[in-house]
Amino acid sequence: MPAPTENNPGSFLGRISIRRNQVMSMDGNHDQELEDLELFQKHVGDRFSELFSSTTEDPSSDALLSIGWLRKLLDELLCCEAEFKAVVMMGRDPSQISKPPLDKLLPELLDRVIKSLDVCNAVTLGLDAVKNLQRLAEIAVSALETRPMGDGQVRRAKKALNLLVTTMIHEDKDCGSTKGTERSRSFGRKGFNGGNKDRGGGSLRALSWTMARNWSASKQIHAMSSNLTAPRGAEATGLASPLYIMSTILVFVMWTLAAAIPCQERNGLSTHLPFQRQLAWAQPMIGLHEKIAEEWKKKEKKGTVGLLEEMQKMEKLGQSLTEFADSFQFPGDNERLDEVKVQVEELADICRKMEEGLEPLQLQIREVFHRLVRTRTEFLHVLDQAGKLSTPTM
Amino acid sequence: MEKNLAENSDSFAPRDETPMPDPKRDGNADAEEPPPPPSNNDEEQTEEEKKEEETAETVDAVESPPPSLEKVSEEIDQFLVETLEEKEKERVSFEIHGYVGRFLDLIEEKLEKCETGEGKAKWEEVIEKDTWLLESVNRISKFKKTLTRTQNHDENETMEEKNEGRDSIENRVGVILQRAMSFLEEDFRLLIEESRTPTELVPDVDPKGKHVERSEQKEDNLDHQQHEESESEMNFPGYTDEAIAYMSKIAGEMLTGGYESECCQVYIVARRTAFEEILQKLGFERISIDDMIQKIQWETLARDMIPAWTNTFRQCTAVYLPGERKLAEAVFSSQPSVAENLFSSLSRGVVIPLLNFAEGAAMTKRAGEKLFKLLDMYETLRDIIPKLDGLFPEESLEELTTEINLAKSRLGEAAISIFCELENSIKSETAKNPVPGGAVHPLTRYIMNYLNIAGDYKETLEQVFKDHSRIEHLDSTSRPFYQENQNQNQNDVVDEKESSTPLSPFTAQVMRVMELLDTSLDGKAKLYRDVALSNFFMMNNGRYILQKIKGSSEMRQVMGDTWCKKKSFELRNYHKNYQRETWNRVLTCLSHEGLSVNGKVQKPVLKERFKGFNALFDEIHRTQSSWVVKDEQLQSELRVSISAVVIPAYRAFMGRFAQYLDAGRQTEKYVKFQPEDIETYIDELFEGKPQQSTGRRKT
Repeated sequence: MPAPTENNPGSFLGRISIRRNQVMSMDGNHDQELEDLELFQKHVGDRFSELFSSTTEDPSSDALLSIGWLRKLLDELLCCEAEFKAVVMMGRDPSQISKPPLDKLLPELLDRVIKSLDVCNAVTLGLDAVKNLQRLAEIAVSALETRPMGDGQVRRAKKALNLLVTTMIHEDKDCGSTKGTERSRSFGRKGFNGGNKDRGGGSLRALSWTMARNWSASKQIHAMSSNLTAPRGAEATGLASPLYIMSTILVFVMWTLAAAIPCQERNGLSTHLPFQRQLAWAQPMIGLHEKIAEEWKKKEKKGTVGLLEEMQKMEKLGQSLTEFADSFQFPGDNERLDEVKVQVEELADICRKMEEGLEPLQLQIREVFHRLVRTRTEFLHVLDQAGKLSTPTM
Repeated sequence: MEKNLAENSDSFAPRDETPMPDPKRDGNADAEEPPPPPSNNDEEQTEEEKKEEETAETVDAVESPPPSLEKVSEEIDQFLVETLEEKEKERVSFEIHGYVGRFLDLIEEKLEKCETGEGKAKWEEVIEKDTWLLESVNRISKFKKTLTRTQNHDENETMEEKNEGRDSIENRVGVILQRAMSFLEEDFRLLIEESRTPTELVPDVDPKGKHVERSEQKEDNLDHQQHEESESEMNFPGYTDEAIAYMSKIAGEMLTGGYESECCQVYIVARRTAFEEILQKLGFERISIDDMIQKIQWETLARDMIPAWTNTFRQCTAVYLPGERKLAEAVFSSQPSVAENLFSSLSRGVVIPLLNFAEGAAMTKRAGEKLFKLLDMYETLRDIIPKLDGLFPEESLEELTTEINLAKSRLGEAAISIFCELENSIKSETAKNPVPGGAVHPLTRYIMNYLNIAGDYKETLEQVFKDHSRIEHLDSTSRPFYQENQNQNQNDVVDEKESSTPLSPFTAQVMRVMELLDTSLDGKAKLYRDVALSNFFMMNNGRYILQKIKGSSEMRQVMGDTWCKKKSFELRNYHKNYQRETWNRVLTCLSHEGLSVNGKVQKPVLKERFKGFNALFDEIHRTQSSWVVKDEQLQSELRVSISAVVIPAYRAFMGRFAQYLDAGRQTEKYVKFQPEDIETYIDELFEGKPQQSTGRRKT
């Protein structure tokens, strides 16, 4: 539909609500609704298509799974969610929501919402750990920036880099064995200077608060996605469709967050998400999913830390700079020093991006959290009313 | 390095032999040097000097006499003062090589000893150790800065040869500084991790089972005061003043030496671990919202987890977070902004999971029994909010205030929605069988006990309804009962109400519940075919309602005197109706009218009257002894009022007419009850257990 307001979600919402209020009792209701649903699907497709193309077509924009890109992803989630509510809830007769097939689909969606809340919390804690990695990288940057470069500063950098790299590598292993509060609090133990590195392995877990006993990101994501099935037949054109779309978006976004950001128990995070291949709006999401899944498989093989673009780069630079630090002898080879200078600048750049981006990302995840809580409350409220209407009054 | 030393050895030797006191030095060194000179007392210093000399001798036996660390340190200080004044820059580059080399040698040696020596230092030793490490780090890092500063100056002068030597000195200084900083870092870690005595909990701040012993709340305030008093005696965070002072010195050196990140990292990890330990001791368990909603039984939440949460939140805000802030401020006294930053991040890590728990609790399936626990949580947050300003630094204050308010709103909304569910529980109670014996209906019991407890939370509920009922009005389909009731209030009830102020939303809601309950009971009363029983049921339930309202001063306040009077009036009516329906028939039998015609007693009529009375009383006794009045006062009131009507009438009837019956068989046949028997039987009424027939028992 070539609606002039189509790129403006605000007026889209406004229009729906006005129209709903006008047509509540009219027979033309059904056609309007179909139109709204189509528009919603189209917007979802557009939004994710933009997220997809920004990573392939425009090299200047944020890379896939970078902090900036994740923030865009969350923005789109919030927009989709607002439209979703407008389509499904606004001005609607509560009884429509409590009738089959929604009587089953809506509770399922609300269950996914709850599980998403936990993912949000786990990921927020994971970002705390990333902040600590950032601090380690900053030590290395500030040490290796000094000129002339001396043994002392190189040693200092080496100590921080060693810890940075081991922490990143050990993340998943450590997460596998949660035994109450017994965690390795081995940050920078003497071992690092003295050489017994097996003792000195850092762990991300030690760098952040624990989430909850027995909680597992991969299990939660699995539980969110396993019962996700596309509506069929007549349902495919009704209200079941936006519910399915919203569920799919939630599953995809939470899966992506868990893949990108270290969080409790990610081992065995499934790369399979049950997308319906033939649906037009899902295509860009499927494309993104395939790319990220591939990255994840690589990561699992290597056993390294996270798909967050900044962390991946940090890991590579960390390894390379560690090698440099290992072989450095005062006053150092000029050519090598120039190479290192470039790498240090890159690392400094990543630190800057983290400094600027991590906190806003955390706040945004918290916003998603609150928004989801709100939405659930609103749906329950509507269901309540539907329940009241159906209970016989004396 | 060795070569350097050898070359430079003559340049420092003469200086050492003739320690010319620089007139400026004594004056300026103390004034200009920011760090204080060694504060050890003289005895220690001389001992130290001896030791120094000994070690120096073993290494540098060739050179005599080797200057002690103190001596070279003085030289370094002197040098620093001079460069600080930017005097004779030319001289600086020459003079470096002398005592500096010696100084570095000595420091290196000492560090070496530390490293290979005992190996694992204990935290006690860190403090006991003399302060040479701290002082030396201070000197080295200043010296290093000076080198960097003067180097920039030299570069312009293209003195390449000299620079090479300087670079190697600078490199060496860098290595030593790094090593010394690593030691400081390790010392800092030892102190912060191992010198801490484990935290012992202070007793519960919050009385448990609040709605059972609500009166304890007043003592609660006293409790808080006691806490504040005992705070100084409490062993949190558990470091000695000495340890804190020493940590602060280390942190100061690390921060000025550019090792802020290392220092903060150690601090964060150690304090987070300490706090996890406290949270665990307080019994706060981190659980996922998913588990909270779907797995964990409400009983577990209500019995263990929510009280633990309340206790943890209150204690953290009253004791542990303020203590933590003080610690950060003390350790990072040299840079308050660093302290603030560290404390912000730690407090956020403590508070946000606590709030997530509250959000989770508010999201559990709504059920009546949850209201009071949620209100306990609400009160916890409400009480904390006014204290936030002093609790958190500006950096995290806004975010945490918003977060706490949000969680409070969620709890408030959940509470409202549960409380409003009462309406539904009344409406959905549609059983068609009357309660046996006209007893208090289970619904009445449930609603009234619920409201009775709600009375204990009246102020909180008033506040909750006032602050959080807005969402209920967001869409027009939502129940607009406040306005409705207020209108009603203005139209009909207003003359009855003593005050013309509109009802508070909470009062309006309670009124609405009471009205619904009345309506519901009216319907249930109609299920009885016996009018007397129907009235009896209403009286019984009404009595229960009134007693429950009067039993809670808060609810009495909510309902108001007018309501109570109206209710009492209704009760009297039900009582009267019951009495009329039951006992008027009895009194008719005992009526003197119609018995005597022209002054002559009609024996057959008299016999019928006695027979009628006996049968009627027997029947009433049989049925109504199975009726139930649990309220003892009401029971005795009823018996008294019945006795007062029936016994005198019977006595009079007997007194007047019994004589007309023939003594013996006839009297035995018709006079089955003596007035005393009547009293006994009346006392058997409303016990809720069917009694034997009076006749059968008599024989």
